[in-house]
Amino acid sequence: MSATTDAPDDQAATKPRRIGDVLSPWLFLAPALLVFLYFKFIPMARGMQMSFYKVSFGDADEWVGWDNFARVFTEEALRNAAGRTLLYVLVTVTLSAAIALVLAQALQGTARHMRILRTAMFLPAVTSAAVVAEIWRILYAPTPAGVINTLIGWLGAAPQGFFSDPDQALAALMGMHVWKHVPYDTVIFVAGLAGVNRELYDAAAVDGANAWHRFVHVTLPGLAPAITVVLTLGCIRGFRVFTEVYTTTGGGPAAGSTEVVMTHIYKQGFQELDFGYAAAASTVLFLFTALATAGFLAWRRRGVR
Amino acid sequence: MLAALWWLCSAAAAATTADPGPLRVWTRSSNDGRKTYDAMAAAFTARTGVRIEYFNATTDFEQRLARAAVGRDLPDVIINDGGSLGQFVSMGIVSPIARGDIVGGNDLHERAWRTATLPDGRVFAVPTSAQAHVLYIRKDWRTRLGLPVPQTWEALAELARAFTERDPDGNGRADTYGFVFPGSTARGYTAWFISSFLYQAGGDFVRQGSDGRSRGALNEPAAVQTLAFFKRLLCEDKSVQAGAINATTQEANRAFISGQAGIYLSGPYHIALFDKEPGSAKVEVVAAPAGPGGARATLAGGELAFITRTTQRWADAKRFIEFLISPEGQTLGTRPPKGGLPVVRLPVNRQLDAAMAHRDPRWALVADEYVQHGKPLPLVPNWARLQQVAADGFNTTLAHCGSNIAAEMQKLNLKIDAELDKQRVLAR
Repeated sequence: MSATTDAPDDQAATKPRRIGDVLSPWLFLAPALLVFLYFKFIPMARGMQMSFYKVSFGDADEWVGWDNFARVFTEEALRNAAGRTLLYVLVTVTLSAAIALVLAQALQGTARHMRILRTAMFLPAVTSAAVVAEIWRILYAPTPAGVINTLIGWLGAAPQGFFSDPDQALAALMGMHVWKHVPYDTVIFVAGLAGVNRELYDAAAVDGANAWHRFVHVTLPGLAPAITVVLTLGCIRGFRVFTEVYTTTGGGPAAGSTEVVMTHIYKQGFQELDFGYAAAASTVLFLFTALATAGFLAWRRRGVR
Repeated sequence: MLAALWWLCSAAAAATTADPGPLRVWTRSSNDGRKTYDAMAAAFTARTGVRIEYFNATTDFEQRLARAAVGRDLPDVIINDGGSLGQFVSMGIVSPIARGDIVGGNDLHERAWRTATLPDGRVFAVPTSAQAHVLYIRKDWRTRLGLPVPQTWEALAELARAFTERDPDGNGRADTYGFVFPGSTARGYTAWFISSFLYQAGGDFVRQGSDGRSRGALNEPAAVQTLAFFKRLLCEDKSVQAGAINATTQEANRAFISGQAGIYLSGPYHIALFDKEPGSAKVEVVAAPAGPGGARATLAGGELAFITRTTQRWADAKRFIEFLISPEGQTLGTRPPKGGLPVVRLPVNRQLDAAMAHRDPRWALVADEYVQHGKPLPLVPNWARLQQVAADGFNTTLAHCGSNIAAEMQKLNLKIDAELDKQRVLAR
């Protein structure tokens, strides 16, 4: 990046930039920014504003100060949902990244069949979450004739309940999530692997390093930026998980066995119609993800230096 | 471009001041139901010149309304299930209605008016349709196995088990189930569906004293017995459709339509739907079975038309609703155009006979069930809230096959009492 930006800067030093040069990027961005302003930034600001009110549907909203936020930090149901979400994030992000790393090793290279394989593998990542949910509901059918139950039946296991069993539903959801997101992570790792200096492998081989040593001391450090991206995106995605849960279990069974932060917020907002509280919880979730991401990136940057 | 936009906006604004535009009506109905509403609107417009603009949805209807309310963009009229009465009133989005002001209001069944009335006697809607739940059975499956129409819970469970275990469709595969159960807690379905059975067992969600105050009734033996019956179907007989515990009514409908399961207790609005598929020759419509003590009961409810608090078109809204409940409007609602579904199930107007209006004798059974055994959901200020609490509790009890039902019902009843207290109607 720095090499390309240096050049115009040199030019700028020799001749003053015309106002058109300054404005034109903004003009090109304007349509997108305008759309974002109306459909993202204004609603977000309105949502944050709402978190200080008891939203009323027939009359004027009532100012309640920090009351909604106080509830966010004390309500047991939300705390349980937050714990479940954290577990969900830890398991899915780690598992997806680990599997993707192995797959990326196998799928790197420029051979034609590799390209076809990589494209085929990427399909789950571009399929909409609702469609994926529908497919997995069929796969997870809790009957002896269900697809996965048939498969595990061949191994001698009894049919499982999956989404219908309160003790398995969360794990079943995690499995679906990993399946959907491994391809995405793999593609990032494949790109990262392409950037690792080949000479380092040769040098390591000359020094007598075995495959494991090469992986730990050459591949992993070379992949550090890619790992950062995968973990950051994975965490953000995980904390905001909604569609996958809502379209499969709806937070149930047993009223809450798969309730995550977002489904809890949705229910408080749109079933209980408590918009103020739902907005406050969303604001907290937003601040948490933003701060966590910023903190993680800052820590990574320091680590790289 | 901005100038053009400005011109368009001001032109639109000028147009709205000259012509009030169509009357905006939201209905919780499918696209097929919408066709029937369209036909009713056309007749109304022909008579009055007032145009109707509908919005219809079956999923997330209340959520969309809440969003519209927050955006200060509510329609003029809302037509929705009677269970939403308390919720709409507590949201403050609907207006009280004086029964005497409604032309033709005296022709409506008193029982139907009651569904539009709060415990304190205030009326907030006009009933447009009534209904009672009936039992749909795959007749072809039942006759193939040579079993009778179930009259009791025990017979129902037996038939469900036979449908699950004895290959009623004769395709050589174990791919059928007996009983359709929408067990999801979404919109409180679990509680809404189980209500008929709870009533058959002699139970109820709440018991109301003479002072209008209530106490939870889910710790009574009848509730325990009802949940035990469902747990038997789910956990022992395993005769309910796959994934029942998370199933919404849409998924439940699909299970019956696609031939996954063969017994379904549901509203009469499904008569027309199931006539298309699995087909009228394959499905029989019968009365719900009697409970363990021999008591007959079935959930009765209906549709209500509300006028919103924000409407600027009170007179037109009232006129439209008066048309909906008139003999002409009610008849149109029972006779859908091609591809449509009836949106008036049992006419609320006393001048009409259900079977005659629908030109279908099966509706006589529905009317009979409604009058003889129909039992409405409890009258509390906000039933939707209470139903959600009950649904969460029922679902939790049924999701764990090892749960202690009596203990779970005790716990649930405390939550019911707490919700009644929140609604300020708990009997001390």
